[in-house]
Amino acid sequence: MKELLERYQRDYDRSSNVIGALLRTEGGKGMEVIMSKGWAKVGAMFVDATDPEKGGMELTFQLVTEMKPRISKTEEVLKTFESVESLPIPSEATFLLYLHSGLPERLVIDTTEAKPEGYAYKGDYSTVE
Amino acid sequence: MPHERQDVLEITVTIEDVDAARLSEKATENATSNYSLNVSLAERDRSPDHLVLSFSLELTSQPAMARFKVSGNANLKGTKDEIKGGITAPDDNRPPPVLLEIYERIYSTIYLLAGALKVPHPMPNLLKKSS
Repeated sequence: MKELLERYQRDYDRSSNVIGALLRTEGGKGMEVIMSKGWAKVGAMFVDATDPEKGGMELTFQLVTEMKPRISKTEEVLKTFESVESLPIPSEATFLLYLHSGLPERLVIDTTEAKPEGYAYKGDYSTVE
Repeated sequence: MPHERQDVLEITVTIEDVDAARLSEKATENATSNYSLNVSLAERDRSPDHLVLSFSLELTSQPAMARFKVSGNANLKGTKDEIKGGITAPDDNRPPPVLLEIYERIYSTIYLLAGALKVPHPMPNLLKKSS
């Protein structure tokens, strides 16, 4: 979880730096420097073959925008995960983390400890006065 | 004034199937007869505060005049310790409390059926382990 968050943070920082550097060098021009007008719909996708530099910047900007809530949510889940870590879980336990659209959503904890068998009872009795 | 939670295990018994048979033409309601009971309980579902058991009870009179089979579910709701206490027999000769509760809840049904079939009524009292 921490590695995942660090990776998201690194991606966010790298992309933010790229966008920030461009906006500084193109000072005063605003958002038009990262908004490409070269997009064309090809089948189920949008393709930019005419202005690849701005197209790439636009994607980077979109990535930064999407990374913000992703980092926030991952930080929130990480706090929950720290609560899970405080549970008496054996050290050999394995964890299966399910990410939905990059966000941690479900966690499976598996241990080698024997699972408790279901309760069962059999007996022979007689009714008494 | 602070309210303290009462340690009460809640047990709900649901009958799903009943089978009753008169095994002898000579049977009467007043005939002397003891009933033996064969019982099985099995876990169906469990959560920290909830346990569902399926039960199957078969009562057979000695001598053979009647037979009753009753099955269903018992829902136990309480704390982990309360549930554990409900399914644990106090000793080798006495049944777990949940079985007493099940027998008590189904007794009225068996009693009515015994009357309808004109066979001896089983006793409502506590159960004793067969030797």
